[in-house]
Amino acid sequence: MSKLFACVISDNKHRAELLSVAKQFAYRIEMLEDGILFDVSGLEKLIGNDKQIEEDIKKELGKHQIFGSVAVNSHLNTSILLARQNQDLSSKSNILSNFGKLPLQNLEIDRNTLGVFNALGIKRIEELKMIPSDQLISRYGQEFRDVIDVICEKDQRSLTPNLKENNIAWKFELDESVTNYEQLVFLLNRGLDVLFQSAKSYGFSTEQIDVCFGLINKTEKLYEIKTSFPTLEKKFWLKLIDLRISFETPEAEIISLGVTLHFAKSRPVQTTLYAAPKPTPESLLLTVNKLKKLLGKENVGVPVLLNQRLTEAFTLDAEKLPSGKESKESTTEIAFPIVAFSYFKPPISAQVLIRDKRLIYLKTDRFCGRVEQYSGVWKANSRWWNVVWRTNEWDVEIENGGVYRLCKREKDWFVVGEYD
Amino acid sequence: MRASNLQLVKSLSYLKEERKYSEETTIESDGFTFSRGAVNELVGSATVGKSSIACSLLAKLTQNGEICAVVDTVNSFDPCTAILAGVCLENLLWAKCNNDVEKAFNSTDYLIQAKGFGAIWLNLSNVSLNNLRFIPRSYWYRFRTKVRDTPTIFLVTSGAESIAGSAATNSYLLTRKQTVWSGIGRFKLLREFHLRTNSRKQFQETIFSKIECSYNDV
Repeated sequence: MSKLFACVISDNKHRAELLSVAKQFAYRIEMLEDGILFDVSGLEKLIGNDKQIEEDIKKELGKHQIFGSVAVNSHLNTSILLARQNQDLSSKSNILSNFGKLPLQNLEIDRNTLGVFNALGIKRIEELKMIPSDQLISRYGQEFRDVIDVICEKDQRSLTPNLKENNIAWKFELDESVTNYEQLVFLLNRGLDVLFQSAKSYGFSTEQIDVCFGLINKTEKLYEIKTSFPTLEKKFWLKLIDLRISFETPEAEIISLGVTLHFAKSRPVQTTLYAAPKPTPESLLLTVNKLKKLLGKENVGVPVLLNQRLTEAFTLDAEKLPSGKESKESTTEIAFPIVAFSYFKPPISAQVLIRDKRLIYLKTDRFCGRVEQYSGVWKANSRWWNVVWRTNEWDVEIENGGVYRLCKREKDWFVVGEYD
Repeated sequence: MRASNLQLVKSLSYLKEERKYSEETTIESDGFTFSRGAVNELVGSATVGKSSIACSLLAKLTQNGEICAVVDTVNSFDPCTAILAGVCLENLLWAKCNNDVEKAFNSTDYLIQAKGFGAIWLNLSNVSLNNLRFIPRSYWYRFRTKVRDTPTIFLVTSGAESIAGSAATNSYLLTRKQTVWSGIGRFKLLREFHLRTNSRKQFQETIFSKIECSYNDV
């Protein structure tokens, strides 16, 4: 069977519409920078010759209000060149269908060589074709063979489907409405079979499957089911779907069933030779979820600073996961380690002996001692418009003890933390 | 007899296998050595710079894009000073254990099982000695075995006495030699701590180092 390719050159604005038109004619589609190329081989029996196929494509483009030029040819490069040339001439009436009449500018010939050809009066492909190819190669080198292949309509390049689909879907309309989901298990089973086979043929796996029920009251019930690792294990997915739906049953009778399988994003195993070691994303997600179950959702996450005036201007973002990105601001070397602060939660209640407005002695349940040195008072306050907070703080060094932050709130003294 | 004694000697391939992940990360400014795939310990009473050294290590690793974890037993971690120390908070996982030592150990276990963390810092500072003494020694050997085949630096900080014992590959005892204040009267400021560190594991000269206070805005 002879090959047949269609090329549509159009504005970049209509890429989505172009794709939907192309999908009506072919499944092997390659997106070009300025248009779309698709394989229409075999449509001769269904539609007719290449002219009729071209007309059909133009009609579809018209329905979607897309303006562009179409070329159908048995050679891939020829179809692209014709479509591109006709895009330039779209305003004029003389649309070219003869490949030989195309100007040499459309070919990938460098400017100097093109100048030489112009000077020699060679302006069209048919004129260049008349020169023996061995003479052209001996003069312009082996690289010129690519140009000769194009003008001789020898396809060295093949169509490379480059569509990046994120999901595939399967849908089934029921003849009669169903009240119980369990009656649909065999249908769901079949849907998953179809989707998993397609996913396998694409070489993908999945971490998310959406199950959507069309209900008799013209609403939809959507279940998004996610896992922390990609898998195409059907029994596992069926169990998860069953558990989820039995937990949240649809509120009306079901009239249709749809399943969407989202492809898991492919990722490199190692980005560079010297890549920093990191837990795999699924392992990290699984660990974080285990920790959340153990410690509580609000206690596991990434620390985040708050751009607010607070005594503790930070929080824990439980929704975020560590990114593992290399810091670009790491150029500034810190000569010595910086003194870190450790909070006491809750703050330790303290008794302070003051003499002549000087801190003399500090006593708590955990430690006590004479105050050797101290600095302060550091006063801070904010939120006067809402819940006012006001603190007086001192940094205190205790004899044979540590260096602590002492805080006075109203009449009570607390040790809020330790420099460590 | 001689042959049976030779059986006790480990073969070269076994030793190489043992050292597979033992590349050492060193904080050059202080001479501390932290080994990957091993238990490392910092011991010392109040205000001896345990958290500061730990933050310094986390800064070095997180800036390189490694993901590190802090198991915060008593919710004492301060992200503000951590960021001043150079820690890239985006690469840090913070697990607050609300004063529950058992949960802290379970969390550590999960994190070690995940494999691939640059460092896991189990902060047991300010946990009462009575609670720490309840921890069976076997836990530390379990951690040592689990962390062995990973690139993780497992760091434990604790109060007055060593708790990891012989399970720790590197163990440092820190003491504060001097606290430096600047200014006088009401204008006094805490400046730096001078520390003395003794390694409890290998013969190593006493390390004298200092850690500085930073009053920069975060």
